[in-house]
Amino acid sequence: MTRDKLKRLGIDLPLLPTTSVGSLPKPPYLLEARQKFSAGKIKTAELRLLEERATKEWISTQEELGIDILVDGEMYRGDMAAYFAENLEGFKSSGLVRSYGNRYYRKPIIVDEIRWKQPITVDWWRFAQKLTKKPIKGMITGPYTMMDWSFNEYYSSRREACLALAKALHEEVKALSRAGAKIIQVDEPAISARPEELEFAIEAMSTVTKGIDAYFICHICYGAFEFIYPEMLKLPADNFDLEMSNSELDLVELFRAHPFSKDLSFGVVDVHSHEVEDVETIEKRIRKALEVLKPGQLWIDPDCGLKTRSREESLGKLRNMVEATKRVRADLGQVS
Amino acid sequence: MIPMEFIAASSGSYPRIGDSIEQQRHRQAYAQLERGDITAKEFEQVQDDVTREVIEEQIRAGLDLVTDGQVRWYDPISHLASAVKGCKINGLLRFFDTNFYFRQPVIEGRLAWQRPILKKEFTFAKEVSKKPVKPVLTGPYTLAKLSIDRKRIGLQKIVMDFAEIIAQEVRELAGAGAEIIQLDEPAILKHPDDFRIFSKAVETVSAEKGNTRLALYTYFGDAAPLYEKMLELPVDVIGLDFTYSAKLPQVLERLGCDKDIGLGLIDGRNTKLEKPDEVLQKLQHILPALDCKRTYLNTSCGLGDYLPRESAFKKLQVVAAIVKKAKEMV
Repeated sequence: MTRDKLKRLGIDLPLLPTTSVGSLPKPPYLLEARQKFSAGKIKTAELRLLEERATKEWISTQEELGIDILVDGEMYRGDMAAYFAENLEGFKSSGLVRSYGNRYYRKPIIVDEIRWKQPITVDWWRFAQKLTKKPIKGMITGPYTMMDWSFNEYYSSRREACLALAKALHEEVKALSRAGAKIIQVDEPAISARPEELEFAIEAMSTVTKGIDAYFICHICYGAFEFIYPEMLKLPADNFDLEMSNSELDLVELFRAHPFSKDLSFGVVDVHSHEVEDVETIEKRIRKALEVLKPGQLWIDPDCGLKTRSREESLGKLRNMVEATKRVRADLGQVS
Repeated sequence: MIPMEFIAASSGSYPRIGDSIEQQRHRQAYAQLERGDITAKEFEQVQDDVTREVIEEQIRAGLDLVTDGQVRWYDPISHLASAVKGCKINGLLRFFDTNFYFRQPVIEGRLAWQRPILKKEFTFAKEVSKKPVKPVLTGPYTLAKLSIDRKRIGLQKIVMDFAEIIAQEVRELAGAGAEIIQLDEPAILKHPDDFRIFSKAVETVSAEKGNTRLALYTYFGDAAPLYEKMLELPVDVIGLDFTYSAKLPQVLERLGCDKDIGLGLIDGRNTKLEKPDEVLQKLQHILPALDCKRTYLNTSCGLGDYLPRESAFKKLQVVAAIVKKAKEMV
């Protein structure tokens, strides 16, 4: 079904398309520049040049690796929620909050009515797409996650905050689509936080995607899917991008019980482990996915963004992922 | 009857880092430890310093009963589970509906207590604190419910195994001089059908408390449906999170409370600061129904993994301000 939609959008993909979830590790020179920028030692223009350089490098690296759908690598983003909060009206930033282990982030605080002012990610999408013939995913953080990952000092309820965010983010998706993005990913890692709120999370996603002619991917990770599955299939997206390897593929059993009806980007490498999974391990994971999914439904990617891994670890994981995919593809080719 | 004693209390963790350069030490040391630039012993020294600092900060905010901030805990689950025989620590999972992630234990076989887990941490905190320190344990039901039962041992068995382990911890902490021990059981609110198993586990833990007072704290869910049953449990204090439940105050007014109570009327998950007078109004409704000796005022949950340090401090100041007014009111 959805492969037809992609074709209609002018996108021709091989079987088991490979992609990345979004973020890729920033090179040392960029990390250093970002620190200098925060300390007021360099200007926006100087930082921008380095962000562009890093983006170019990652685009060519992804092409060399043979990945099918590329990402810009988010060289210009820090935290995925804070980045959008900084660029929308109605937010201010908090002090550092712990995320896990030794990782901290600045959690946005909603202090006023949320409004979309101007395109946030469109320039970067254009910049990256000009560098390659392969499709670049448009990439936004979804309204439910933005709400759940922010403190709320303005709206009277979580629902109200979420729907206000959906309206604002719809404008961003519209702008991406107008610029030419055909595949748009909405990151909703928080969506399984409160199963009783899935209803308005779906309503919010409908608001975001309404009337936009694009192939929508919804990325979800580190959640308790058993509480929102199969209801989550009602989210208006063509493809769900799920973390599978970090939880030792428990979801496969869930899909055995209730078939997965959309396309699925299947996370085959754990982004929180330093270990580079070997090709055989990844191949096994892909074959396990094929026990519950048709080949035409399946995309292959890492569990989540790779920004917390080193460049070497990321390259290793992506390289083995592409190789494992090729092996399975070859077998599928022989079968058909 | 109006309760006689109000206590401004911590309800668990406190942010281990803040925004100032001095407050970043724990984070930097952690990274240095991971890179092998400092030794475990040097890191321990930093953890000691930060523990001292967060205790002092809780006291400065006006609390009467503090914790060590749980600054040595990787998360509320794996800090305990990793010290238990039979547990392996797995990947990250969201901790309830928060923005915080914990590492999930995998039950590999028969669980067994090996050595005191919290005793040393508690003893250190007690020695450096000018106010009483309350050790915090995650309860057996929550530990079991958040573990992966790969070998299909069954929830009940795992809960009871953890209950024996936590009971042993309670015995150790009581022996080390803890006057009150907090037992966190958020998971039971999401699974009320397991109350019988839960209740047995609490009994097992409570049997080892001796003269120490056991405070059962629940949060991240609506406690109203379970409140009546909680009153039957062999614990000395019941701690409640009021941010999830519109009905909880009415339930309390109707059923009263013959135990001591921990009122989580201050939202530990949002930076918006409560106005003491508004909280006091809520308190005035609840108090006449209570039949307890002590009322603990606290945030709805520990603050360490949910609020920036600066907001956490302000929240505790609000707690202390309310206690001050409540005392005047009585």
